[in-house]
Amino acid sequence: MSEITLKVNGQLLSVDVAPDTPLLWVLRDHLGMTGTKFGCGIAQCGACTVHLNGEATRSCSVTAEAISGAEVVTIEGLSQTGGAVLQKLWADMNVSQCGYCQAGVLMATAAMFKQTAKPTDAEIDALVSNICRCGTYPRIRAAIHKAAGMMVAEGAAA
Amino acid sequence: MSEIDRRSFLITSGLFSGGMALGVAPASAAEPKDGTSHAPWATDGSGGVEMHPWISIAPDDIVTIRVPTPEVGNGAATQVAMNVCEELQCDWSKVRIEFASVRRDYLEKGIYTVGRQPMFSGHGTDPERMKMALQLGASARERLQRAAAFRWKVWQDEIDAKDSVLTHRPTGRTLRFGEVAAEAANVLVYNEPDMKSEAEWTFLGKASPFKLTAPAIADGSAVYGIDVKVPGMVHAALKQCPVHGGKLKSHDPKVVLGMPGVRAVVVVDPAKSRGVPKGLTNPVGMGMILTTAQSGVAVIADHYWQAKKALDALPVEWDLGPGGKFADEKAVYAQGKAALAKGKGPVIRARGDVSSVKGGKVLDASYATPWCENAAMEPLNGTAMVTADKCEMWVPAQDQHAALWVAVDETGLMPDKVDMHQTLIGGAFGRRTASDDVRMVVAVAKEYPGVPVKVIWSREETMAQGRFRTPIMTRFKAVLDKEGMPEAFTAHTILGGLIAMMSSLEDSPYVVSGAIPNAEISSTFLPYHVQTGAYRGPCYNSHSFMVESFIDECAAAAKIDPLDYRLRLIDKWDPAWGVVLKTAAAKADWGKPLPKGEGRGIAIANWPNAGLRKNGTTVCCVVHVAVSRSGALSVKQVDLAFDCGKIANRDAVAAQLEGAVIFGLNSVINEEITLKNGAVVETNFDVYPMMRIGDVPPVINIHFDALSGDDRFQPVGEAPVGPVAAALGNAIFAATGKRLRQTPFRKARLNWT
Repeated sequence: MSEITLKVNGQLLSVDVAPDTPLLWVLRDHLGMTGTKFGCGIAQCGACTVHLNGEATRSCSVTAEAISGAEVVTIEGLSQTGGAVLQKLWADMNVSQCGYCQAGVLMATAAMFKQTAKPTDAEIDALVSNICRCGTYPRIRAAIHKAAGMMVAEGAAA
Repeated sequence: MSEIDRRSFLITSGLFSGGMALGVAPASAAEPKDGTSHAPWATDGSGGVEMHPWISIAPDDIVTIRVPTPEVGNGAATQVAMNVCEELQCDWSKVRIEFASVRRDYLEKGIYTVGRQPMFSGHGTDPERMKMALQLGASARERLQRAAAFRWKVWQDEIDAKDSVLTHRPTGRTLRFGEVAAEAANVLVYNEPDMKSEAEWTFLGKASPFKLTAPAIADGSAVYGIDVKVPGMVHAALKQCPVHGGKLKSHDPKVVLGMPGVRAVVVVDPAKSRGVPKGLTNPVGMGMILTTAQSGVAVIADHYWQAKKALDALPVEWDLGPGGKFADEKAVYAQGKAALAKGKGPVIRARGDVSSVKGGKVLDASYATPWCENAAMEPLNGTAMVTADKCEMWVPAQDQHAALWVAVDETGLMPDKVDMHQTLIGGAFGRRTASDDVRMVVAVAKEYPGVPVKVIWSREETMAQGRFRTPIMTRFKAVLDKEGMPEAFTAHTILGGLIAMMSSLEDSPYVVSGAIPNAEISSTFLPYHVQTGAYRGPCYNSHSFMVESFIDECAAAAKIDPLDYRLRLIDKWDPAWGVVLKTAAAKADWGKPLPKGEGRGIAIANWPNAGLRKNGTTVCCVVHVAVSRSGALSVKQVDLAFDCGKIANRDAVAAQLEGAVIFGLNSVINEEITLKNGAVVETNFDVYPMMRIGDVPPVINIHFDALSGDDRFQPVGEAPVGPVAAALGNAIFAATGKRLRQTPFRKARLNWT
């Protein structure tokens, strides 16, 4: 076991874990933040996506020891880091079905918006590559385009 | 129980608890919104007054509706609340849902047991349950109005109820529902109030609010089974014999007991299932009969990662059992091929006399679909605490009754000693219906008594221990008459497993309508060890693919347009089917010329009652594909028309149909479970391909124009999966001349010149 310090959603936290514990399980089991979901454990599905030092990262495949001192944003902190618009749209547009994958989808989407304010379909395909078994993809795409329109409109007004 | 038990309106106590509050907006300031910091279940009613076991109203007007329907993503739980709300006349923004307690259902003699599969995750518009929900809403409203009339000493019929406010029309005085709920709860209604006619509905069929779970899903506070936290809880990682039916031969706990956090290594032995106490029978049917415990071993540790690491390090030897003899899946299917070559099996339906048909063009084709995995995004899991006289569990079950009775069977406890808390479900598609997963959770917890144990299957374990889609092999023969229509039709179908259904083969309208005068369906059982189960429209999805592809072959052989061919066969039988066909075709520009390498395919199916007119949900799908010369397939457009009678929530229906198109496409293009020495080969998404956002057709159109308006609100979750596969195969045939008779299509070479 070793002590790892992380900044999670703006809060400095330290946990005593085995160094090879994936960030996913540090968050879920040790910090009690279960919004980040376990899907596959091999970085295939994206359900566990968080922001690690600002970048979308599949937390099942990053060990605690590799990220000591890093800054992590999870779905629980998304609304404080500019994601509230997305979260409201996700509800209003009834995007989710079972909803299990959507925390990861939202985190991937929010990270994409940091790179580009008006993502193209090709950019969405590349950057929001999470698996959704319910097949909510058309609504995810529609919500992203709507969010881009709203953000551009907000930017123009400001 | 189709009538409301009037006596139950008198019960106003809040004695029982067990409903689970969803992490939706807080019912009161005291209730924490953070779904991670408190237990995901709540005492009933959030402090409100109970009008009926289904409905509580709090002083702040929050209405808590206890729904018997677990929420699997289809919006059924929200639908049940909408049904109550229509008659209660409450403000929708003040409605919360809890999952009804199956224990309370047992103790109060079936208060939530209404309609088909009473506590299953589907059928939000089940006719009996919908009628009861509406009646309960009306009764509660009537009692609120009467309480206000007492308070004001006025005639009750001068009082309107709307948006959670009672208004005395002559004076304009108002009271909120919450202000009179306590008095209303004591009002006894001797005659049930009249309900609105459907034409008077203002909410159902009109509004499409987002699911009540949506905000909590978007902010991460929603509590799925895997998110449950119970004080003192420990974690278990589970491994069952990789060959289904095999047994644990030996293991060496000493190797891992010293690892960090490890508390115990426990064995699950199917012989230790204690059985339902003598004299009790499961009143609901399903569940127990479908499941047995699997031989396995689990490591219990403080945290999941510790348990998983120790399990990976645990030396384990398995006795693979009879399944180990199958070198691969082909060895299983070879038995079916041999049976198909031999001739027909035992006849299960016959019409006319197929042997009397001589001459004419003969078609003979064999189709096959493999095992497929439900692949819900939430891996299997559950939490339970078992002691000598009690079992408490927190599980993402698809059917609460099945879960309860499986736990009774596994522990041998009386049902009133089993307390179940239903959580949100991260997808299932049938996988969590029979509660074999709940049984394993309880079986593990039973070996570590007195401590709540959360059992998590890794993705690999989830997939290795699937209850897969039943593989089906069918050989069809048809003899066409002078006009090219089938005069004789035979199908010999090979299928095995626990779920072996004939939906849309035996009861295909082509057969039952008499449109094909001579027909014979026979079936042979396929023996194998791999466990099967429900997979979104069980067996129907395969039969629809096969029948609708083979009918397309008949049309092609007769040189008749596939749409016209189907209309000739079924338009007269049930014109509503014809409308569905014609609507989808027209919307998809059927018949409009396409460039070389492109094609459209059409298919129609009905779940769950293809053979009955004005029944079930009929769906027609038109798929438009482009296939490059080198064989690269792209689906350009999908058009879907359907008839489920009437709809109660347009957007929720659209969402189900969109999702089902994608589910159906992934199933037919990508999915296959194979075996090596009896064990599942594909155990994660690196080798079990799933469509992602970039793989989805750019255009999926859901058309509401074919709705008949007939008096039924049929479910729409399963039905659309049926025709998608055949429509895709038929489109590929139109584009390339290649007929695909086996899934997954990704294995087929589609190149053309």
